[in-house]
Amino acid sequence: MEDWRQIFYHAMNMFNVVIVSYFFMANGMYTILMLVSLGSVWLHNRRLTYQGLDELRESAVTPPATILVPAWNEQDVIVESVRSILRTDYPALEVIVIDDGSTDESMDRLIAAFRLVKMDLIYRPRLATKAVKGFYMNPRIPNLMVISKENGGKPDALNVGINMCRTPYFCTLDADCILERDALLRLMRPIVRSPENTVASGGIVRILNGCEVKDGKVISVKLPKTAVERFQVVEYLRSFLFGRTGWDLLGGTLIVSGAFAVFHRETVLETGGFLHDTVTEDMDLIVQIHRWAAHHQRKIKMVFTSDPVCWTECPAKVPMLGRQRRRWQMGLCQTLWKSSEMLFNSKYGVIGMVSFPFHLYVEAIGSVVEFLGYFMVPLALLFGMVPVPLAVLFIVLSLVYGSFLSVGSVLLEELTYRRYPGLRDLVILLVYAVLENIGYRQMVLLYRVQGVLRFITGFRSWEKVTHVGAG
Amino acid sequence: MPVLIEHIYEIVVAIVITVLLGTGALIIMAVARRQRRESYFRRIDDLRQRYGPVIASMLSQKLEYERGRDVLKGISGVDRDYVLEQLCLEKKPTPDQVPILRRLCEDLGLVRLWQQRLSGQLGIASIRDTLASPEGILHRVGRLHFLLRAKAADNLGIIQHRASWPLLVKALEDPHPDVQAVAVRSLAAIQEPASFGPLVERLHAVILKPSTRLSLRSIKTALISFPLKQAVGLIPSLTHAHRRIRFLATDIIREMVERQAAWDEDFVLDAQVFPAELGNIFLGQLCFDENPDVRARSAPVISFLADPRSTPVLLTLLEDAQWFVRLHAVRALAKRKFLSQAPQVAQRLTDPHWMVREAAARTLLVFGRVGSDQLAGHFLATQDRYSQEQIADEIQRAGLVPNMLAQYATEAEGSEGKVIEQLVQMGKTSYVVSVLQTTSDQRLRRKFLMNFGRYLDPQIRGWVQQVATEETDPNLRTLAQTVIRPATKQGES
Repeated sequence: MEDWRQIFYHAMNMFNVVIVSYFFMANGMYTILMLVSLGSVWLHNRRLTYQGLDELRESAVTPPATILVPAWNEQDVIVESVRSILRTDYPALEVIVIDDGSTDESMDRLIAAFRLVKMDLIYRPRLATKAVKGFYMNPRIPNLMVISKENGGKPDALNVGINMCRTPYFCTLDADCILERDALLRLMRPIVRSPENTVASGGIVRILNGCEVKDGKVISVKLPKTAVERFQVVEYLRSFLFGRTGWDLLGGTLIVSGAFAVFHRETVLETGGFLHDTVTEDMDLIVQIHRWAAHHQRKIKMVFTSDPVCWTECPAKVPMLGRQRRRWQMGLCQTLWKSSEMLFNSKYGVIGMVSFPFHLYVEAIGSVVEFLGYFMVPLALLFGMVPVPLAVLFIVLSLVYGSFLSVGSVLLEELTYRRYPGLRDLVILLVYAVLENIGYRQMVLLYRVQGVLRFITGFRSWEKVTHVGAG
Repeated sequence: MPVLIEHIYEIVVAIVITVLLGTGALIIMAVARRQRRESYFRRIDDLRQRYGPVIASMLSQKLEYERGRDVLKGISGVDRDYVLEQLCLEKKPTPDQVPILRRLCEDLGLVRLWQQRLSGQLGIASIRDTLASPEGILHRVGRLHFLLRAKAADNLGIIQHRASWPLLVKALEDPHPDVQAVAVRSLAAIQEPASFGPLVERLHAVILKPSTRLSLRSIKTALISFPLKQAVGLIPSLTHAHRRIRFLATDIIREMVERQAAWDEDFVLDAQVFPAELGNIFLGQLCFDENPDVRARSAPVISFLADPRSTPVLLTLLEDAQWFVRLHAVRALAKRKFLSQAPQVAQRLTDPHWMVREAAARTLLVFGRVGSDQLAGHFLATQDRYSQEQIADEIQRAGLVPNMLAQYATEAEGSEGKVIEQLVQMGKTSYVVSVLQTTSDQRLRRKFLMNFGRYLDPQIRGWVQQVATEETDPNLRTLAQTVIRPATKQGES
């Protein structure tokens, strides 16, 4: 009995070490990212005053680009989305919509709206995909093509689009997203202006819920009404403004949101396109590109820019949020597991030595550590292993630190883009940034742990997140 | 005092208090910043309302220049220059507004200020000015001065301040790449002939010194925007030993030529716009260059040359070993003046590379009736499956099917009918059937039913079935019912 007691005590002590190290590692790194981003985003915002978008728009040197829109059962939004995309301000733009075997009226509505006719075109698949059922075009809208294919998932749909794409760069865009008119131009700017070989460029995804939308355009930016949506606004600000910006500056970009990102087509083809073995094909592609570049000794660059904006609907209901977060966490685990050789591998530079370990320990395993902490700390208290005041102080510290980081992201938004116009909006955001760590964070943590468990148990299915309709 | 484990409470409490204070400070900063910005925007809006119409009237020449200028001179305050800059350059000026705006910026002292900034004559702002002006922090921190230099370079480019070109050329050597990039862009906007040379030098530097932090595309964009007569400045680059420099120089001239040609349908590169020396380099050297990229990019330029040697050279490039050289040559021939070369272009319909086949089909379509006859003739005659597929693809993409069907309906004997038959035999019936489903031309439907109604193609069968059951015209319905019977029997057998 005494032996078991000793083992228990040792285990508890070890866990305490793990949770404290996790706390300091995660918050330390987040603080560094926040500080780095504060400077970087502010500076970027200043540099925008002489960005010269007109020159980019008018230059014959600006490379043509194709927007790939994978769609599955998007009948309610697809026509407006495509109309909005066709209005994108870009000199040489093509749009390919890939209907991934929808069972609703998506195809019929597209055919009717754009007067498309079915054509028997040549399909040259450089990436293996499910069968294509038909190509639809209107010779009067030559830059629009709709492809109907058998259902094979988002990566498969994107691969069909890449196979048919003719331009050197393509932009992936979710069918339910709204692109700001000049967003693609802004996304391409770092590619055009960079002296290095830039193969991926990501932009910021902002939350559409609550905003006023007219003719596929956000005409008034407002905060959503419900708490769960508002918490997500704060989360997105934190994730995009200081998470991705910070990693970009440190040269450790491991995630580019597939909802809105530009990729170099030939590079993606060489890496094998979007793969099917994870549920977050966007992150997986970024990791694949890093591995490919290291393997072939290619010097490449991936950038994240905070001014190109794409608006997306976030889940308005808690169950939908759960689905989304489980998938993201499961995909993160799958991708990191698949590419475990990158861990502490100096061949990958900052990615291998800092970014990958951080994502593995803090973002993937960390969720389980934090989750267990909510049980182990009370247990340790129960057995008198940790003094009560110290445990309480530690819990307070973790909550306060979380608030500090969230408030920091709101400040970052305030210092730069100020998309939410009223002072009231700012105050609401600050309140939600403080409150986020009490209740919401724990709820999301639960979903993340479920995602890890699904990864461990080999769960494969994709949970569709449905939206209530913005505007 | 050494930090001991006994001090853990104090340490954690200290961290908690620090973080709490930090959070509070961030909240106060955010709110204070918002309030400050709101008051700043109120001031700007107020100024905009007061002075915006004055500037607009001056630019549209509705208000006497001197009166408007004197009104604007009345703006004062620590941030006067910043506010004036905001008001004057708020909107991109149209070409006819640029001279007025340039004069206004000169008279208001903004040009002198920008020139000083660009040449690095920047003092460190006082703390009072730092806090009072939105740009104050930039003046205060020396490491941020590049933002002011870059903005100054940008402003001089917007108003196309020709006298500032030497300063901008000097800025090409600025330590910060942003300033270099903006200077390149502004030089392109000003288009001072004397600045073309330094830009070409930068192009060489970017290629020859990999440490240069300027984008090649930025320089290229700038050079392309110069008038074509500046192309002579690229002669040393066209004959340079470095293959990449030759390629870029050729490509820049190609872009310059194509930009000019886009405005003028009958554009020809004659001796007036394109010196003979340049033409000879293209016809005598570049089209035979060891670098295939150079050969490829030379083809479009050669196609515009008013020189008898150009067509034979293009035909040589049409047979080049590299597929992308052939591609560029085929595309270069897509001009009506090369109508007589249609048979040579048609030969490329069997090219091993699909992009060349596609380009050949498109070029033939540019030739009009002669080209489409060539295309149809080749489509019907060739045994090359890839070539047939490519032509079928192009016929559909170009939207030719409805016209072909219309002509097929009216003409007794014509190639359209045979092309339609070929499409049907290849199973390329989707477009054909969709036209048949929507057309009101009963003659076309009848003729197609009679000629092709018995084909076993599933889409045609579906359409015939539809006509046989749903058609309101009894004659057509009966015809469909007649043709479907043997087809069904044949299908069953």
